[in-house]
Amino acid sequence: MRKFILALITLMFSMSIFAHGPTPQKVQESITVNIAPAKAWSVVKNFTDFNKIMKTRSFDDEVMKIKYEMLKKDGPFSDYNAYIIVKKGANDNESVIQWTARFYRTYKLNPPIPEGQDDATAVAAVKKIVGPGLASLKKALLSK
Amino acid sequence: MITRNKKFILILLISSLLSLIYFYSDNYKTNPKAYITNQGDNTVSIVDLITLKVIKTIRVGIAPLGVTILNKKNLGFIGNVGTDDVSVIDTRTDQIITTIKLNTAPLSLTSSPDESKVYVTDWFKNNIIVISVKEMKVIDSFKVGITPSGVVFNAKYNYLIVTNRDANSVEIYDKNKKLIKKLATGKHPFGVYTKGKYAYTANVYDDTVTVINLENWATEVIKVGAHPYNILTYNNLGIVTNTIDDSLSIIDLKKNKEIKRINTGETPENLDLHHKLNLLLVTNWGSDSISVYNLKSLKLIKEIKTGAQSRSFGDFILQ
Repeated sequence: MRKFILALITLMFSMSIFAHGPTPQKVQESITVNIAPAKAWSVVKNFTDFNKIMKTRSFDDEVMKIKYEMLKKDGPFSDYNAYIIVKKGANDNESVIQWTARFYRTYKLNPPIPEGQDDATAVAAVKKIVGPGLASLKKALLSK
Repeated sequence: MITRNKKFILILLISSLLSLIYFYSDNYKTNPKAYITNQGDNTVSIVDLITLKVIKTIRVGIAPLGVTILNKKNLGFIGNVGTDDVSVIDTRTDQIITTIKLNTAPLSLTSSPDESKVYVTDWFKNNIIVISVKEMKVIDSFKVGITPSGVVFNAKYNYLIVTNRDANSVEIYDKNKKLIKKLATGKHPFGVYTKGKYAYTANVYDDTVTVINLENWATEVIKVGAHPYNILTYNNLGIVTNTIDDSLSIIDLKKNKEIKRINTGETPENLDLHHKLNLLLVTNWGSDSISVYNLKSLKLIKEIKTGAQSRSFGDFILQ
């Protein structure tokens, strides 16, 4: 029974991940840091300085949001655009930093989709950018 | 002799019977509502436009994107690109009454002005699929240019207008499925809108809108914000969603020039309006919400949380 449920969950999961069609993919992750939002924003704002593969598109001081695009074009995803927002946490000295990426898989034609060019591969690759990216941001913030 | 109590029960019975008949008649009207496709969680959020609240969330097929509302027939058609089918909603009860199998990914949907047919763009196999609303099944399909994306029906000329994203063009068909005209647009035209003698395409890759005069086929290009997805017009204004700029470009259609920017939620994709209620609605893919504006002043009234990756490509408001 347990095996069956596991198989069912796996099937459901892969169905949603492999759902074909020209669907933009989304990776959204956040971290909480014990730093006041304004202070966190001053670091996040200049984030692309220490991340050479990104280029800032724009930033908005009022809502504490930075948008950037990817300069490196050799990943298994395309049309990558992302933004990072700093929000107030549970108290004045806590910030929640949320990173959202929008992108597509590299293969855009009729199925079958070649291995390594599907939605799941694209999502996995972007998760490897967002997760460690947030971790290094947190490190930079806490060293301030 | 009929007692007071019996009389009361009789009146109650008759009135509930009458309201039932009314409810299932074509004249029955609910409050105006918006149908928001949430591609990330396979649902449609239904928003009451009087109370500005989500009143119901219904599960549809996988990865719903396109939508078209048939106001006279009280029906909503939702295209599911993950399950290759169309979910049909009765807008009086907000329940799915049938699912129409397409065996291909439906990108966008529109109806004929008499609401007898629904046209669907078939992204992968380059067709327009025709659904009979009476029979609730596919009755026809015909070949069009590659990657057909947006589709709209122009009631003035009886034209079906389709954007071909990867061909950087727009095609215009008559009601006999005959190609009348093919015109170049900007790069990657996605959303398309038409009213009177004009059609407009939003061109994602070069941040422009192409204006097409359907009388003499003259075209004009207008610069807007980054990665525009869709457009509609209201009086002498064009309103465009700029997905990467998190904004709307407001265009003066007399001068064909952008005159203003309005902030939206994250990654705004599609938009629709309700004239009588003076509302403009924008779906925000990034913030999983819709932004509701006063149509005349373009001031934000409220942002409403919907579901994951709200898109609603098409006419999504029940008037």
